[in-house]
Amino acid sequence: MDAGETVETGPGHGVLHIEEEVMGTIVTIDLFGEVATESQQIAPHLTRAIESLHEADAVFSTWKSDSPMSRIRRGELDPDAAPAEVREVLAACEAARSLSNGWFDPWALPGGVDPTGYVKGWAAQRALAELLGARVRGAIINAAGDIATFGSPSAGAHFQIGITNPHATDELVALVDLQGCIATSGTYERGAYLMNPHSGLFATRLASASVTGPDLGLCDALATALVVAGDDLLGAIEELPEFEAFTVSLDSERRWTSAFALRSLARARDR
Amino acid sequence: MKRSPLVVAGTLLGLAGVLNFHTDPATVSLAGLNSSGATTSATPGASSSTTTPATTVAPPTRSRKARSKAPVTTSPPTTSSPATASAPTSTAPSASAGTRTATGPLTNYNFGELSVTVGATGSKITAVTIGMLNDGGNFRSQSIDGMAIPILEQEAMAAQSATIQSVSGASWTSAGFMQSLQGALSKLGL
Repeated sequence: MDAGETVETGPGHGVLHIEEEVMGTIVTIDLFGEVATESQQIAPHLTRAIESLHEADAVFSTWKSDSPMSRIRRGELDPDAAPAEVREVLAACEAARSLSNGWFDPWALPGGVDPTGYVKGWAAQRALAELLGARVRGAIINAAGDIATFGSPSAGAHFQIGITNPHATDELVALVDLQGCIATSGTYERGAYLMNPHSGLFATRLASASVTGPDLGLCDALATALVVAGDDLLGAIEELPEFEAFTVSLDSERRWTSAFALRSLARARDR
Repeated sequence: MKRSPLVVAGTLLGLAGVLNFHTDPATVSLAGLNSSGATTSATPGASSSTTTPATTVAPPTRSRKARSKAPVTTSPPTTSSPATASAPTSTAPSASAGTRTATGPLTNYNFGELSVTVGATGSKITAVTIGMLNDGGNFRSQSIDGMAIPILEQEAMAAQSATIQSVSGASWTSAGFMQSLQGALSKLGL
């Protein structure tokens, strides 16, 4: 294949796959459609997308002691004097706290405000926006299981996304026809790190929760809230326009809101 | 194939990419054949999309207020029927002349190592199975051993008609599977 040649791919086939180690995890980017492999038109967009992920890491990392977010947490930096994206994220976190009836609350966490539950999705979505100008049919950014997309894998198709079974993480529990974003929260990947902001206890009521919608940061926050709050919060999400949810209970019961784009449900098994 | 100077990992193109890049045009056209969702959902293990709970009634949840709001749909936790449980992924019994198998490299996944074995007749994939699984003998092996990953296996089969583009929840999980799958496909020249 010569430089600049365009690859026509089959339906649903990503033509470029990139993995980037950032934000303490691996973020993957997939581009779909007719993509020029030499990618004169794509390279700058990809570069910007990857850079924006690293910028988000540098600003919001709670592990890097010199990041603006770490300085805010230590009280060394006034949030009002912080970089614009910090103020944007904190404002969005306030909105997410309100929409989740207080179940997502970065201010309730020990050690100072920690918007990490929102930032990963927000950063992936911001990076995705950099790819809009790349003239591809569709794109997926997957930040450790939180997925932002635009377009489609092929004409007339939806992205088909699997949701990991929280009780057997090498299985899928459901398939989703995705338009927009999906975030999944659960305790199975990192242990019981989710805290109930109302009680201050580390406890969860669901094995996992997935939320779809137009904004991955908010999807992420709502999914986190759901895991802590339990299915009672499903009703609130049902009433949120454009956001839908799918949950797996601690005893493997599955529930979802009425317009959740479920494609198929995996057969449950006895354990 | 000349790639952009960017860091483009050629390894994990995702299942679809894997199949696409290793198939000849004949197979690709075959890919479009059974693209109906019905075909995919008919595979055991991925029961068809039932937004109306089937005949089974969801058992009441104990600890929660069973406040099942009307719009929220519920699925019973266990619906395994013997009929659908019958080995969907085992190799086709016919040892017909054109059937070949290959096993991909042992690849790391969340809890250990696995390898994927692919059977093919001509350019058509007839079986995708976990050829070897080494999880260090931890407790999870009990659940993984007989029956885990069948969903992914079936998706690999279904990839000739439909495809998962990504996984929400634990993106590493399928990566190991796909990496080994790609190796197996390469060995078969697919």
